[in-house]
Amino acid sequence: MKKRPGKQLLELTVNDEFYELAVEPQETLLEVLRNHLGLTGTKEGCGTGECGTCTVLMGDEPILSCLTLAMDCRQKEIRTIEGLDRENGLTVVQDAFLQQGAVQCGFCTPGMILATTALLEKNPNPSQEEIKKGLEGHLCRCTGYNKIFEAVEQAAARKSRHGDSGSV
Amino acid sequence: MHLPRFRHLSAASFDEAVRLLNEYPAAGLMAGGTDLLPRMKYRLTSPEVIISLRTLSADSPSVTPEGDLVLDPMMTLTAVNRSDMVRERAPLLSEAAQRVASREIRNMATLGGNLCQETRCLYYNQRHSYQFVEPCYKRGGEICYFIPKGKKCRAVFMADTAPPLISLGAQIKIIGQEVRQIPLEDLYTSEAEKPLAMASGEVISQILIPNGPGNRGAAFSKSSLRGGLEFATLSVAAVLDMEDDGGTCSRARITIGAVSAAPLRVRKAESALTGKRLSKELFSQVADQAAVEIRPIPHHGHTRAYLTECLRAGTRHALCSAAEGIDFPGFPRSRE
Ligand SMILES: Cc1cc2nc3c(=O)[nH]c(=O)nc-3n(C[C@H](O)[C@H](O)[C@H](O)COP(=O)(O)OP(=O)(O)OC[C@H]3O[C@@H](n4cnc5c(N)ncnc54)[C@H](O)[C@@H]3O)c2cc1C
Ligand code: FES
Ligand code: FES
Repeated sequence: MKKRPGKQLLELTVNDEFYELAVEPQETLLEVLRNHLGLTGTKEGCGTGECGTCTVLMGDEPILSCLTLAMDCRQKEIRTIEGLDRENGLTVVQDAFLQQGAVQCGFCTPGMILATTALLEKNPNPSQEEIKKGLEGHLCRCTGYNKIFEAVEQAAARKSRHGDSGSV
Repeated sequence: MHLPRFRHLSAASFDEAVRLLNEYPAAGLMAGGTDLLPRMKYRLTSPEVIISLRTLSADSPSVTPEGDLVLDPMMTLTAVNRSDMVRERAPLLSEAAQRVASREIRNMATLGGNLCQETRCLYYNQRHSYQFVEPCYKRGGEICYFIPKGKKCRAVFMADTAPPLISLGAQIKIIGQEVRQIPLEDLYTSEAEKPLAMASGEVISQILIPNGPGNRGAAFSKSSLRGGLEFATLSVAAVLDMEDDGGTCSRARITIGAVSAAPLRVRKAESALTGKRLSKELFSQVADQAAVEIRPIPHHGHTRAYLTECLRAGTRHALCSAAEGIDFPGFPRSRE
């Protein structure tokens, strides 16, 4: 009889909370977030790197949770859509997405918002080209992208008006 | 989509990876995982053990006393693109790294993983459990769906960073039973089913880019269906080393990607540049020569005729962009 590889212990921090979990070695970060931690804001689209909807932040860089093994997240800090710093309930980026109508079915939105948040943290005043490059890994089947680009521009403008004090 | 079951081991160094690969011959080595994990999700490969390098942090680039640039294969493509040292000494590599996939993937994908990317084809790289056609050569069958008259697998090698590194004359250090250093060009076998000339227990531990002459022009050109998140239809990396007079080419290297199971140099086209003064007419002749020299393998729905035109246009484009970086009067700039 073939021996099944057992669970392994994983320690990681998600949205500033420390977790200690037993996970299967083949589980992805996406599966751990959704199935173990109940953080279902992170979505699975393709599962193979082609859509960006499973994006989370590791440190301050966006990565794909569908192509990250949970066991490779030991001692890492992860931020998901649930963990964004909130100002009156919504961050500047979330608010801009709502105002510009950049959300239709909403499936791509958590990934888009996290990627935009990371983009504006690195580059507070991106050009159209830089916005497109920053979001190149994110597919949206509904909006046609223009409203998303407008939302990113609005968020950048609002953030620069309020200075760096407000959360992105 | 779920991964098949496996045992997960982390390697804290390349040496430990080699030791673990010897201990578990059926293991798969994983760096960023962005090439391996999709293949595992599609059940194209199901190693019982994964030896993960993902938590290994990469050394920063450094320069030897001879002026050679040393890169750690565990550098992410984002790090390759952002490194000032790489931008200064190998700008076409920096550019190529930036053209791979998406920002999220470049934050995970490593340079070593890119060089060791599996060959790809439209039929092979998908899930096969719901398909009812005979398996292709690479899946153990007796047919290639793209070159049906062919006697072997014709998948192509599509990694974007290999052509620039080959045109820069890069060497790689491989560790395993012994330590060896080979030109990167020799890593590729041209056999789609076993594209890399490495044994299963071997690991690339270093990439070396030799110091170039003072006056050098270089460029990378990638054509793809979309601007982002897309493999190359075809890519070209050109490096022009110049005589001291500034206008005469002393050595040219041109490498074409995504046309075969290996990145290919166009040696006749290169020698048509040696000893010549650069001009747009010369570049057109060289591009025509390159398009005769290589017969691109039709892939991902592109016909051979289309790829041949991409090859001609891409070569001309790369040469013109490379010349823009060269310091000599009299060459017509594109902005004029
Ligand atoms: C949606 C999508 C789009 C993509 N687009 C592009 C693109 O435009 N251009 C492109 O070039 N690639 C593209 N890729 C492929 C992939 O992301 C890159 O090739 C990436 O650089 C692979 O690096 P990795 O570290 O993730 O490799 P891994 O998946 O970790 O490894 C790939 C292979 O290399 C081997 N390997 C890794 N490191 C070493 C080492 N040091 N020594 C020996 N063997 C090693 C592994 O054993 C494995 O077989 C894309 C992938 C996806 C999912
Ligand atoms: S689900 Fe991860 S990229 Fe599509
Ligand atoms: S809003 Fe539906 S996919 Fe983007």
